[in-house]
Amino acid sequence: MAIVSRRKAIAGIGAGGAIGLGLLAFTDQGRTLWRTPEEARKAGLGFKTLDAGEVATLEALGETLLPGAREAGIAHYVDHHLAQPSVDSLLMIRYLDIPPPYLNFYRAGLAALNGFASAKNGKIFGDQDAGNATDIVRAISSPDPAAAPKDWRGPPASIFYFVTRADAVDVVYGTEKGTEKLGLPYMAHILPETPW
Amino acid sequence: MVNKSADFVIVGAGAAGSLYAAILAKAGKSVIMLDAGPGWILGDLASSQIWARRLKWGGAPVEFRGNHHGFGHNLNTGWGLGGAALHHYATWPRMHVEAFATRKLYERGQDWPIGYDDLRPFYDRIQADVGISGDAQAEIWRPEGAPYPLPPMKRFAQGRLLAAGFEKLGHPTAPLPVGIVSQDYKGRPACQNDGWCDAGCPIGSLANPLATYQAEAAAAGADIRANATVKRILPASKNRAAGVVFTDAKQQERRLEAGTVILATSAIQNPRLMLASACPEWPNGAGNAADQVGRNFMLDSLALVYGLFDAETEPHMGVSAGQVTNRVRYAGDRPPGTPFGSYQWQVAPSMKPSDIFGMAISRADLFGSELSAFVTRASHHIASMVAMIGALPDPTNRVVLSDKRDHFGVPLARVEHKVDDATMTLWSHCKDEGVAVMKAAGATESWTGPYNAGHLIGGTLMGDDPATSVTDSFGRVHGIDNLVLAGSGLFPTSGGISPTYTLLAVAMRSVGVLLR
Repeated sequence: MAIVSRRKAIAGIGAGGAIGLGLLAFTDQGRTLWRTPEEARKAGLGFKTLDAGEVATLEALGETLLPGAREAGIAHYVDHHLAQPSVDSLLMIRYLDIPPPYLNFYRAGLAALNGFASAKNGKIFGDQDAGNATDIVRAISSPDPAAAPKDWRGPPASIFYFVTRADAVDVVYGTEKGTEKLGLPYMAHILPETPW
Repeated sequence: MVNKSADFVIVGAGAAGSLYAAILAKAGKSVIMLDAGPGWILGDLASSQIWARRLKWGGAPVEFRGNHHGFGHNLNTGWGLGGAALHHYATWPRMHVEAFATRKLYERGQDWPIGYDDLRPFYDRIQADVGISGDAQAEIWRPEGAPYPLPPMKRFAQGRLLAAGFEKLGHPTAPLPVGIVSQDYKGRPACQNDGWCDAGCPIGSLANPLATYQAEAAAAGADIRANATVKRILPASKNRAAGVVFTDAKQQERRLEAGTVILATSAIQNPRLMLASACPEWPNGAGNAADQVGRNFMLDSLALVYGLFDAETEPHMGVSAGQVTNRVRYAGDRPPGTPFGSYQWQVAPSMKPSDIFGMAISRADLFGSELSAFVTRASHHIASMVAMIGALPDPTNRVVLSDKRDHFGVPLARVEHKVDDATMTLWSHCKDEGVAVMKAAGATESWTGPYNAGHLIGGTLMGDDPATSVTDSFGRVHGIDNLVLAGSGLFPTSGGISPTYTLLAVAMRSVGVLLR
């Protein structure tokens, strides 16, 4: 038995975790760059699956769900994992028995959010002020299917809320940095290669 | 197609498959164990709730039809070597004596073909092999057996607070028995209580298969292959299996002949494979002459209860399973007015800020600045507990084949499952009881979570009567001499406890018969 010795004894990840598995890969002029979602956003690196409108909507939604999610790179995080085969995706949606490809779910959900926002007051979600954005998210947050908004045209609103909220929590609190900001020690045995 | 043969081919490298592989290989048998997922090693188990998702199901989707949305198949199963036990929490209680005979005692469910005394020596042997930490004397509900080889796990503020709440209401508690070593044991180091169990325990304190029986199997010469997807069982005749067909890591289809085929995948994938193996010799699927394969599929129900305290609760410390337990038996010795059934409280599990059992998700209604404020407070003041509520068999709850197929051409599994009214009554009772405990413990706020299900049980029940079961008490499929099933799919009742320890005991009892 190859027992791994004590905390942080292994710097790298073994056979199943190729280098950079925790980082996001970007291509720039033929070179592959590895970045955390936060670094990718700061550097303005491109997206693989989501278009500019979807990115803007997801960032606005993420920031409404949990302040800090935009800066932490929620759009790059989600985009990267939507570009992976579903078996390699690390998004919370994997737990919800929703059939892959997960991009279909996100794309339909983001479109539904904009459609719902537009029906409400003529503006897509990213153009709403903070108060209206909060009202819209509150309207889609109820787990009761009977409470789902009538103008929502997409995957179940409450599941879309649940999934994207979990993504926001992942990028803000699911990292060593985010955990330690709460005053909790991360205490890794093996540190992931990046502080997501 | 390449032919190869072995004495035993085991499909699924989780807890039960690994135990079979270890004992058979050590007895000098040739063993090939195939698993559809990746070949994890302990060094892959990074401490991250995000990365932990790699260890959860990544195979063919499972369809669901039912009256609830709390199935969580992908969360409750594993992907790759170690199976679900690679990320399981190692709550290892023994099944109650009554759970083996609910039909006889209470005219409900279906009786096991064996009783507690049949499994007792194997429970004892496994705990000596692997190490269980707990206090047998404090567990007044525990059936007779050898005391635990290790003292209980360390208790932290959350555990102390909630244990006091139970005691205040007159409900006895005990340290939660876990397959985690509280002290160095047989080369495995003591747990560090950092709550990373769900991400897999790379130091081997928790008894995941890579640190226990699978390691023994490999050392004894078992041939363990990852990324090997078994597609069907091959017949030799109506009464015998010839082997299996699988696709290997290079996407080549291969045929493997075996003296005995052991199916040790999940309670869903075992019946799926049997049903997908329909052929002229087995027109309804392997072992399905009586239309029992897939029937009586069960899910334990989970009642989640949370509280906030003024005191520091140290919620990040400990293990994912919990620190304390309280267990209530079936109807026999229950307080008047308590609904029928069995459940186990797992009290004070360690919590991370994120993920499916994390702090943020406990208040899924909150978002924005309210969510930030809640997580900040919860990080030091939340406490939680969960009741695992047992299930009884119902033949209409079942695993069937879908019309859709995976990319190997194998039909998908579809689960048809309804939670019955009695279970929902008990679920409501547990939530009320949990809130009362939180209040008694001094919580300033307490609340409950939505319905969730966990633990996949049944679908291929063991029994004496081939008309109402799929295997005998040793997991041997009725009517097919050399096809054996392993895992929690064999259980005729779930008992409201975590199944891993019991499925290991059943497997250890059964493997001896194969060596006779």
